[in-house]
Amino acid sequence: MSACAHRWAMTDIRSGYLVVEGCYHCGARSSFFSTEPVAPIDEYREGSHFWEHLAGYQAVTFNLRCEACGQRVDLGDMMGLMLSTCEDGRCEIGRMALELGKSTSIYVALCADSTHASDRCVSDEGIAALNDYFNQRLRSRRKKILVVPCRMCSSVDRCRGYVIADTGLTDLY
Amino acid sequence: MRISEVVERTGLEALNAAADVDISGVYISDMVSDIITGAQGGNILVTLQTHKNLIAAANLVDVGMVVFTHGKRPAEDVVELADRAGIALFSSPDHTWAFAVKLFELGMR
Repeated sequence: MSACAHRWAMTDIRSGYLVVEGCYHCGARSSFFSTEPVAPIDEYREGSHFWEHLAGYQAVTFNLRCEACGQRVDLGDMMGLMLSTCEDGRCEIGRMALELGKSTSIYVALCADSTHASDRCVSDEGIAALNDYFNQRLRSRRKKILVVPCRMCSSVDRCRGYVIADTGLTDLY
Repeated sequence: MRISEVVERTGLEALNAAADVDISGVYISDMVSDIITGAQGGNILVTLQTHKNLIAAANLVDVGMVVFTHGKRPAEDVVELADRAGIALFSSPDHTWAFAVKLFELGMR
């Protein structure tokens, strides 16, 4: 365990697109971050999945670096943050929201694979650093931010909340 | 400077009830992905966006107040989400540049 009382700052900030794809065979959703000038729209087969484009949002990615000791936390496994409004007592995050009350805002860190079939999600190290970072920046003493990994959702695809992404800015109608 | 002083001197209309806290600095953006990387806690966030994602971003960085310019007003459910997060919302009839000038003349940097 580090002896440093980390002072986290954002680093490696990159602008691009959060591209969301869905498998019309099994219903899974997958996402990735693209820095291409135009968000890629592809349809392809990958193993048992048949991926098709669902959406592309302007978004940013970043990592965290401690200004005191230089430790860097890679957040490449995080596709976005969602303010949860879940109050479903059957969901772990919903139960936490009910227990913690309105002074705590719960943000779900979204990983690339909504099914978590690969057993991977946003790393524990990343979640801990995100919690430190956003709470260190708070000026309101009564406010608290709690960042949790999306593997805690009973169903990410049906979860209630607001994803911090710029939707619709590049759509043509 | 406190929120009440900014409100009085720039002619803002309050859209909800919120604490009269100290604010410092200004951030102008219409992209939520930009707000979470650029805005600082206690900032006045000036924007045209009136959707719930904006509140999700403003809450995460703990901005001091949100000002919707050009007379824009969010829907009632957006105001409810801001109430829940304790974020003060205001509307200005000025367009963004004119409102930014007013803040500059107040000494905001």
